[in-house]
Amino acid sequence: MKLQDVAIVGVGVTPQVKRSEKNSLQVALDAAKLALADAGLSHTDLDGIAARWPGPGGTELAPGSADWSTMLGVPLSWIGDSYPQGIPALVDAAGAILTGQATTILITGGQAGVLGGGKVASYTRPGNEFVAPFGAFTAAHFALVAQRHLARFPYARQGMAEIAATIRNVGSTNPDAVMYGRGPYTAEDVLAAPPVVDPFTLLDLCLASEGGAAVVVTTLERARDLRHPPVVLLGAGMEWLRQQYVDPARYEEVWSIGAKAARKAFGQAGLGPSDVDVAQLYDVNSLEVARQFEALGFCGEGEGTDFALATGIGPDGKLPTCTDGGLLSFSHIGWGAPTLKLVEAVHQVRGTAGARQIPGAEVALAAGAGSAAQYYNLALLGRAR
Amino acid sequence: MTLSAEAEALTGEFWAAAARHELVRPVCRDCGRNFFTPQIACPQCLSENWSYERSSGRGRVYSATVVHKAATPDVPVPFRLGIVDLDEGWSMLTTFVDGPGGRLPAIGAPVEVTWVEQDGRTVPAFREIVP
Repeated sequence: MKLQDVAIVGVGVTPQVKRSEKNSLQVALDAAKLALADAGLSHTDLDGIAARWPGPGGTELAPGSADWSTMLGVPLSWIGDSYPQGIPALVDAAGAILTGQATTILITGGQAGVLGGGKVASYTRPGNEFVAPFGAFTAAHFALVAQRHLARFPYARQGMAEIAATIRNVGSTNPDAVMYGRGPYTAEDVLAAPPVVDPFTLLDLCLASEGGAAVVVTTLERARDLRHPPVVLLGAGMEWLRQQYVDPARYEEVWSIGAKAARKAFGQAGLGPSDVDVAQLYDVNSLEVARQFEALGFCGEGEGTDFALATGIGPDGKLPTCTDGGLLSFSHIGWGAPTLKLVEAVHQVRGTAGARQIPGAEVALAAGAGSAAQYYNLALLGRAR
Repeated sequence: MTLSAEAEALTGEFWAAAARHELVRPVCRDCGRNFFTPQIACPQCLSENWSYERSSGRGRVYSATVVHKAATPDVPVPFRLGIVDLDEGWSMLTTFVDGPGGRLPAIGAPVEVTWVEQDGRTVPAFREIVP
């Protein structure tokens, strides 16, 4: 077996909302059931799980995935508390399948009942003693990277606003998006929105919302007998520079984070950036979208916003990006958010994206994390050949 | 903020010095590397033989921004957040206070440490130096 013999066969997303009445475990379970139903599988078909937080039961010693064997009522031959979910969990699952540890693996997670109180999400403000006293939070760390970039390339600000408006307008027309019906927005609306942390306004920044997301991963051989066309893992790559949001990010180090991972992923896939039909980039803010075009090899340094504008990243453009509305408008559910990128990539490749289907999408890029996070990962997904 | 025993052992000296209005940072006794945040070992040579040494408290702005909406409602806004590169070759996250006109210091602007009392602790901040 090889990497491309690992397939995603089921995807599930619960309703994505600003605030849920449920808790995180419930939405993770809901998403798992949806993904299994989508695959036409039962929970008794599972023999592996990667469900970083929450773990049912909440044991002190091994919280997380191990507890799910109790919940599912099935013995498991592999667990992975992947950090975070999305692509790292998919790569872990692929490794487990390729080494014969498991055949059918559930990746699930999300958050619910945790947001509110006028505070940003707790995962965005680490309690570290050299962070908390200064009032830093995720968007502020990204802003400190952005300020260095804009000092070099001030014209990027307008392009950032165009990018944010484009992706938000996709979510505006997606009935499943948290921000459905909000908008449409122009770049001027983005620039005129309330400032959060310079250079970002409210509309430059992603959501913090609630819901669950899950995928089911198995062998291509088994996938061929299931409901949907198999979507295989063509290639993947990861980079880990430092623990996120503690030591401040150095622009010169993090601006290109993802470049090595992209070279690896494209090399494994035997593809290049021009082969990507849809890009589910990790759009935590407008500038990160431009940055990823640069780092992943779609264009040169400082050209990310111009590339986005010239290429067209909306549904009618040459490189539709964040085709569900992204983290900016569809949803961001904490550690579960990276899995949303896989789900949308799978829908586009197998042709089940409904009204937002991009015609002829055969190769999808899905990504997670970003510059100020100081780690990055991506996967290329495609139809089985 | 209450620190764990492990964190206290690692960084208690930093905060004790801060209470005396002295800015200190780890310096490796084996390879001379300055590093921050404090770690159990030098990130250059992995030696655990390091000590806190006093910093001049002077440096330059690496990046700076204005926070208009804080992470929690109890933090007054706007405030100025940034990264300072200290002259000894290390850097830290910090806030900017005072300075000419209360403006946001530009990237590269010279700054020096000052101290603010916050939640029962003395915390370093930086102010722009007018040459």
